[in-house]
Amino acid sequence: LSKRTLAKLFTPADSVLRGGAHSDVSGRSTLLAGSLIVYGLVYGAAMGSYSGFAGDRVWQLWYSATKVPLLLLATFALSLPCFFVVNSLVGLRSDFGAAVRAILSAQAAVTIVLASLAPVTLLWYASYDVYSAAILFNAAMFAIATLGGQIVLRREYRRLIDRDRRHAPMLVAWLLVYAFVGTQMGWCLRPFIGNPDGPVQFFRKDFGGNAYVVVARLVREQFQSPSFGPSR
Amino acid sequence: LSKKHRGFQKSPVCQHSFDFIVIFFRHVLCNAKHAGTISFATGEGPMIRWLRELDRLLRGETTRVSALRRGTVEIPAGGLLATMVVLGGLYGLCMGSFALFQEGGPVKAQMVSAAIKVPALFLLTLAVTLPSLYVSNALVGSRLSLKAVVQLLVAAMSVMLAVLASLGPIVAFFSVITTSHPFIVLLNVAVFGVSGVLGLRFLLQTMHRLNLVLTDRYDPEPAELVDSPGSVELKAKSAMPPSPLSRLEGQSRSRAVQGIFRIWVVMFGLVGAQMSWVLRPFIGAPGEPFIMIAARGSNFFAAVLQAVRDVFV
Repeated sequence: LSKRTLAKLFTPADSVLRGGAHSDVSGRSTLLAGSLIVYGLVYGAAMGSYSGFAGDRVWQLWYSATKVPLLLLATFALSLPCFFVVNSLVGLRSDFGAAVRAILSAQAAVTIVLASLAPVTLLWYASYDVYSAAILFNAAMFAIATLGGQIVLRREYRRLIDRDRRHAPMLVAWLLVYAFVGTQMGWCLRPFIGNPDGPVQFFRKDFGGNAYVVVARLVREQFQSPSFGPSR
Repeated sequence: LSKKHRGFQKSPVCQHSFDFIVIFFRHVLCNAKHAGTISFATGEGPMIRWLRELDRLLRGETTRVSALRRGTVEIPAGGLLATMVVLGGLYGLCMGSFALFQEGGPVKAQMVSAAIKVPALFLLTLAVTLPSLYVSNALVGSRLSLKAVVQLLVAAMSVMLAVLASLGPIVAFFSVITTSHPFIVLLNVAVFGVSGVLGLRFLLQTMHRLNLVLTDRYDPEPAELVDSPGSVELKAKSAMPPSPLSRLEGQSRSRAVQGIFRIWVVMFGLVGAQMSWVLRPFIGAPGEPFIMIAARGSNFFAAVLQAVRDVFV
């Protein structure tokens, strides 16, 4: 890695995190999407290293690596058309480019925070070899990263909201749609870590399945379980 | 180019997303023979022109008070009807994709039938609700002509279908990976609900503006005077164009008029919902043979309640 490539890698990340007027890089969508992919791959690879590198396990590493950027970008792509139409309809078309850049910076921030946490994840893997604990730990890392993304998103959107207050409900609408689609997308792209006792696979065999339907059924089962019944 | 249009072109993402849509339609639709001949004459296919009209509707350019001076929403109603058919067809394909991946084998006919029935649903709802909209307008003493009411309703339904089609990718995604029929039913009901609410807000606001123009009770707001040299404050205020959904300040409708149109909106919702029930199945229950139109019986609301219950089973 030459000094130049390192600079190319870090400058966009730095400006995404710091934001503000001195960031001329955060204004460019392709750079944002590029850093989203690169840093997503970094954390994904760390996440997928759980089951080791022996034999075809290396593939799991690659699968997990691609899934992090795929999760973010696919959710973004599916939610974008309705965001475009609704933004136009409330009269914010001329700001749409800025809104998309704000959202892309937030997503890039998520992957940057994740990548910064990759060494911690590796240390955790080196310490414990319980699969369910690895899942929980990764969930915690994603939660922290989402928090980081939210901070960037609020800051970028603050400027837009100051310009026009109609941006505030648009941000709420975006977050609702994004969370709705993203939850399902995450469910579809399982396994993210890869069970060392299971086969190496990109998608699970039971690829389909609706996260919300599963949750609805779990809720019903809780209320039907005998421990809640009157016999107790 | 208008000032706003230039601003729109400046932002690259905007430009790309819009160009993508335009190129998509140019390739898919304007290679048709008769469309090709017209495109030689005008430089762009008719579908592109209609999409631009739809875009102007969405951005609120067509429904600004200054653009409504003649008492009508000036749109190519026929062209927008064609655009509605295309957008509805696209959404129908997204909706019908559930039948391709359902348990018990794909039903391709269901996808085609949904692509035909979604535009039909909107056109039939338009036909059923048009007379009552005209009558209620006349009843409250508005001077809207029949032609103006037709154009207004076509414009509002185009907005509805634009919103609906923009939610198509999400619906298609869920349709492909979900095996639960009631979930997909509820998702589609929610999506139709969102597009209906936005379209009806557009309709009511535009109708209100038209009536103000016709009765000359409207004094132009500062935002309308973008080009005239004004104070910095005015300029700042006009940086963002007024949206087609926003209410004109200080111009309120009377209670009675509001009441009448609220009743009409409720009726529109009921008609649309029940029309969708009459034209069912759009999605197709898994394991059942394909039918074009189901037998009469039951109603939309009972079915939705049943779906809510079934999601948990």
